[in-house]
This record gives sequence, structure tokens and C-alpha cells, in this order.
Amino acid sequence: MKKYKITISGMHCSSCASNIEKSLKKVPGVKNANVSLMLKKGTAECDDKVSEDEIKKAVARTGYKISNMEKE
Amino acid sequence: MNHEHKNHEMKNMKTINSHHHDEPVEDEEIKSWKKKLIFSWLFTIPIAIFMFSGRLFGIEILPESWMVPILLVLGFPVLFIFGWSTIKGGMRGLFTFYFNMDSLIALGTIVAYLTGFLSFIGIVDDYSGVAAMIMAFFTTGKYVEAVARGRASQEIKKLLELGAKKARILKNNQEIEIDISEVKVNDILIIKPGEKIPTDGIIVKGESSVDESMVTGESIPRDKIKGDNVIGATINQDGILYIKATKIGKDTFLAHIIKLVEETQSEKIPIQKLADKITSIFVPIILVVALLTFFAWLIFSNDLSRSISIGIAVLVIACPCALGLATPTALMVGSGMGAKRGILIKKGEAIQTMKEIKIIVLDKTGTITKGKPEVAEVYPKEKEKNLFEIAASLEKNSEHPIAKAIVSYAESIGLKKYKEVKNFKILRGRGIEGKIRGKSIVIGNRTLMNERKISLKKFEETIKNFENFGYTTMVISENKIILGAIAVADALKEDSVEAIKKLKEAGLRPIMITGDNEATAKAIGEKVGIYEILANVLPEEKANKVKELQEQEKKMVAFVGDGINDAPALKQSNVGIALGTGTDIAIESGDIVLAKGSLIGAVQAINLSKATFKKIKQNLFWAFAYNTIAIPLAIAGVLHPVVAEIAMALSSITVVTNANLLRRKKID
Repeated sequence: MKKYKITISGMHCSSCASNIEKSLKKVPGVKNANVSLMLKKGTAECDDKVSEDEIKKAVARTGYKISNMEKE
Repeated sequence: MNHEHKNHEMKNMKTINSHHHDEPVEDEEIKSWKKKLIFSWLFTIPIAIFMFSGRLFGIEILPESWMVPILLVLGFPVLFIFGWSTIKGGMRGLFTFYFNMDSLIALGTIVAYLTGFLSFIGIVDDYSGVAAMIMAFFTTGKYVEAVARGRASQEIKKLLELGAKKARILKNNQEIEIDISEVKVNDILIIKPGEKIPTDGIIVKGESSVDESMVTGESIPRDKIKGDNVIGATINQDGILYIKATKIGKDTFLAHIIKLVEETQSEKIPIQKLADKITSIFVPIILVVALLTFFAWLIFSNDLSRSISIGIAVLVIACPCALGLATPTALMVGSGMGAKRGILIKKGEAIQTMKEIKIIVLDKTGTITKGKPEVAEVYPKEKEKNLFEIAASLEKNSEHPIAKAIVSYAESIGLKKYKEVKNFKILRGRGIEGKIRGKSIVIGNRTLMNERKISLKKFEETIKNFENFGYTTMVISENKIILGAIAVADALKEDSVEAIKKLKEAGLRPIMITGDNEATAKAIGEKVGIYEILANVLPEEKANKVKELQEQEKKMVAFVGDGINDAPALKQSNVGIALGTGTDIAIESGDIVLAKGSLIGAVQAINLSKATFKKIKQNLFWAFAYNTIAIPLAIAGVLHPVVAEIAMALSSITVVTNANLLRRKKID
């Protein structure tokens, strides 16, 4: 298990946040995803095989950009 | 300090603190909405004048045939330049099936705008002016909302930006300023008066008082001397301090606090789950509803223009945002208010559970009392010194606060040499034993003496007296013969009495839990005003006692402890409140963590949780009520699309503003 901490730019409403969550959860291997509109940050808990790129793509799919990413 | 010197100092302070103004993300957002807002209205105001001058005052500024083309020209930049991010995001949502709020606005405004072109062929009325007005109001709403959201997170933002950016390090006897990221553990840092302490450390030289309010919520500066710990991001008041960095980067106290706050914020609390579910399916449902409304009106009224207008009103009035913002904004304000007072809500759920709490179990040592016991009275059979020679020799091997009290007392009466102890054993919650020169020594409480069948006979009265004073009494025995008794007292924290009074006023039933025996515990309970006492409880039994209470009373139970040996009890309770002391914060074990060690913090935490949860409920109520009233009204065709848009914007703003009102609540 690992955890990606992401900072997302471009979110401005709560459906944005829930869309990103949904999109992240669809990535195979992602166990849990949380996005906070207030902090413009999110976390994705996932299997070790999930790559940074997949997370980035999942966010991009909904129309937002990751401005910072950390792995834990 | 002379004046010049002070000036110099001030300058230094400036250089160290001047790197603090990184543009926060939120401000960027506000700025961008503001720009869009101004330009949108620049074009929308003329549109409004053209549209309403004829209708309201009968003055035709423009010839009839110019009207629509001019509205289309003026409306274009409002939608497709200043509103482009919304249109783009919304359209993208429509095509990728990740519908969002923008999808509704984009669809509504584009349809309205297109009626302008359709009006040329005479099949519908022109609504292109309405499109611009909707977008302008939407932008305005977003701007106000962004400002309010920024306000909601101001305390947290302050916390995030609290860390020092620079440090002054001592290298080869020279002071050099370096970036905080370059500081390593064991580096010696110099902090002048008025400066921020760069990172967690221990004072190696100098003394000063340190303002820790920004981190612990403790308002009175603390005096610090060599050997004391200091917390990064706190402010050195009056002396020059030399500290050795002990923790850096992610390991610092501040970093832990920030992590905690961020986790709370991105965590979902149960009451929000329904709202989230609705938010996530809200937009597609509204799209369908709008479409159905449009066709229903078209069939029954046979008026295409009116049907379009009503369809647009349905699109733009629906507001998933208010629902989505209800909890996070209130939680943000609440946790910000907490952070300012050193109250860290680690588990958002605790806020919801708190209002159900009826019983509050308080650990005695370290929670109600200072946790730093001192020897209060000694009753030796022979000489005091002889008694302590034996007692301290054994206790020296234990880390228990009582052991420390006995050892430090022994030192204070001039004892320097200890005897060799063999077979040393700690008997948890009861005492210790070991052998000195072959003689079996047992030191401990009444329970232990009974267990070992050591008769208390001659000491019975003394021990009882000690207990009635609230002293913890340690009996020292050698080969089953009692050598004496030592009474240890743990002073109450200054505000314990007040805090317990307030807990009772809040309708909670306080219960004290302790390893002390009945008599001692009762005496202390009496002093602080707690009359329900669980005495003789071994540390590992505390969790069980909490469980028993939960089952027997069928009530929610909160536990307040220092998290050192009561972590299981904190976990077992419905809401665990962990009291921290300085840097040794028991972050892992509590649902709510208090950075300062006072029991008043627990009272504040309870009040804050209740107030925050009430706000959340209010917000959710308004958001639900708004949508359940506004959407049917729009479907019924009684709302003009622009009015619908204004109502929508106001609903989001109301929720965020209401969350900000939480600050007015008195929680102290």
C-alpha cells in the first residue's frame, strides 16, 4: 500500500472534487481517494503497482491539473 | 538594550521573516474571479440597459432590428472570453460524463445565447442577453464564494505558513543564514529576540521566554532555560537562544499538526455522506429534469420560447455546490478555531459523535493532576535516610513518576550512593520488588502488601491518614516487615476545578479513573468536584472499564487522558481526547488532540465540536431546503432564468457565510 498526496489546481466547486474522487477510484488498484475542495488537496491510497502517471491521468480526465505530488 | 542595537535586531528580524509572502493559491483564485467579474459586468450592464429600458420604461435606445445583433456581440466576450473557463469545463464535463456544476451553467448559457441566432429566423424569442446576465451573476457568485471560502480557511492557512523559512546557523564560530531546508539534526541554531524558532530543538545556551501560542494555544509565554525543548515556529521573546535542532522537516511538531489538520479536512464525516452521494448524481439528474421540463412545457403550452426559458431556469437554479460546501466549510472554520487554541480535531467523525456523549471519564494522573508527583510526607520506622536508601535504590530502576519523585527526594536529602539491586521487577499498577543484599524488598500500595501477605497493622492509621489527604501511599517492606511509608502527592492542574465545573454545566457526567486506592482517589475527587470514582484500576484495565460503562449505561463515553499509558482506553471510548504536553504529543491515540495540557482544552474541544456539528447540520438543512424548494419553482415556470441564477449564487454564498459565522460562537 502507498499513498499519493496531490495538490490540484482548477477546482472551484464541490462537484469538481467529487468527480476527481470518482475518477481516482476508477483507477485499478486505488483503494480509497479523498479530495478536499477547501484545501485543494487530495489523497489516493493504492496498491504499489499504481504509478504516478495513472493518478495524473485520472485527474486530467476530469479536467483538472495536479500541481504537486508526493508519495508516502 | 540601547536603541541602535534594537534597531539592528529589528532589521534582522525582518530579513528572517520577509520570506513569508508566497502568494497563496486561494488568493490567485479570488483575483481571477474578480477580473472576470469586472469585465463581465462591463459588457453585461449595457446589455441590461438595452433589454430593460424598452420593457420597463418604454424608451427604445436601439432600433428593434439592431437589438439582437448588438446583444450577441456584447454577450460573446462575457460567455466565451471571461466565462470561457466555465464553458470549457462544463462542456468537457458533458462530453466526458464527469458532469459538474459548470455543465449546468454552460449548457444553460449556450442554449440561451443560441436563441439569439434562432430569433433571426423567427422561431423563438431572443434570450442571448439573459445568457450574459446568467454568466455575470454566476461569476459574481463564484467570486463572493471564493472570498468567503478564503475566510473560512484563514486560520488553517496561517498555520500552513507558520513555519520559518530561514535559520541562522553557527558554523566555525560564524553566524550564517541558511534556508530552513538545509538545517540538519544536531545543527546549532541561533535565535535572537523577536525571531521565530526555526525548528524543534533543545536549548544548549541562553534563556528566554517563548511565545508558543501559535502552536499550542497557550497564551502565556513560557520561560525556557538550557535543556528545555523548544517548538519550531514559536517566537523567542527576550533572550538570545542557542538551540540544537532535534527534529526537522516532516518530523517537527508543526508538521505533525499540519498533517493532522489536512487529514481531518479531507476526511468525510458520516453526515456528509448523503450530501456527497446526492452531489455526485445531482448534475445528470438535473440535466434530465431540465430536458423533461422543456418537453412537458412544449407539449402543454406549445410555446417554444417559454419552454426554453423554463428549461434554462431549471438548469441554472440547481445548486449541488451548496450541498457540497455545507460540511467542508464548517469543518474548516471549526478546525481553524480549534488549531488556534491548540485543539486538533484528528477524526472529523468525533464532531458528530460528541453531541451524543453523556459520560466523560477522566484519567487522574497527568490529566486532572500535573502528573509530577512529589514526596509530601514520610513516616519511617527508624531513620528517614535509611528508609530512602532502600526505597530510592529500587525506585531508581523505574521510570514511573512516583519512582522519580522518591528518587529526587532522596537526592534532596543528600543521598548519593545507591545499593545494588538484584531481581528487580516492576509490578504494574502496584509497585516494585527486588533484592538488596539478599533481603527481599517490596515497595508498593496496599493491594501489593495484601497480596504478599505483609501485615500493615502498626501503620494502618498513618496510611489511612495519608490516603484521606489524597496522597498516594507507598509502603516499604523488607522481608515482609514494614520499614515505613512514603506519601506522594500530585498537585492538581490550575484549571482542573474550573474545567470539571464546566463539564458538569455542559450536562456531562464526569468520572475519575485512577490506579490509586479508594480513599486517596476520593480525596482528590472531592478537591476537584468529581464524586464518581473508579479506583484501583490498573493501566491495562482502563479500556475495559470504559467498555463496561458503555455497555452498562448504554451511553456514549468520552475518555480524557495523556495518551501515554491509556491509549487503549482512548481508542475504546467513543471520543478519545488526548492531552499533550509540549512536544510529547500523543497524536496517534486520540480522536481529538490537545496541544496544551490543560483540561480546559477538553471543555473547549467539546464545545467546539458541538458548535461545529450544529453548523454543519444547519448548512445541510439550508442546502437541501434550497434545492427542494427552488427546483420545483423553476419547473413550475415561475422563475425567470436570471432570478434563478441569482438564487443559486446566493445559496452557495449563504452556506459559506453561515460557516464563517461559527467564529462568533463562544467556546471557551
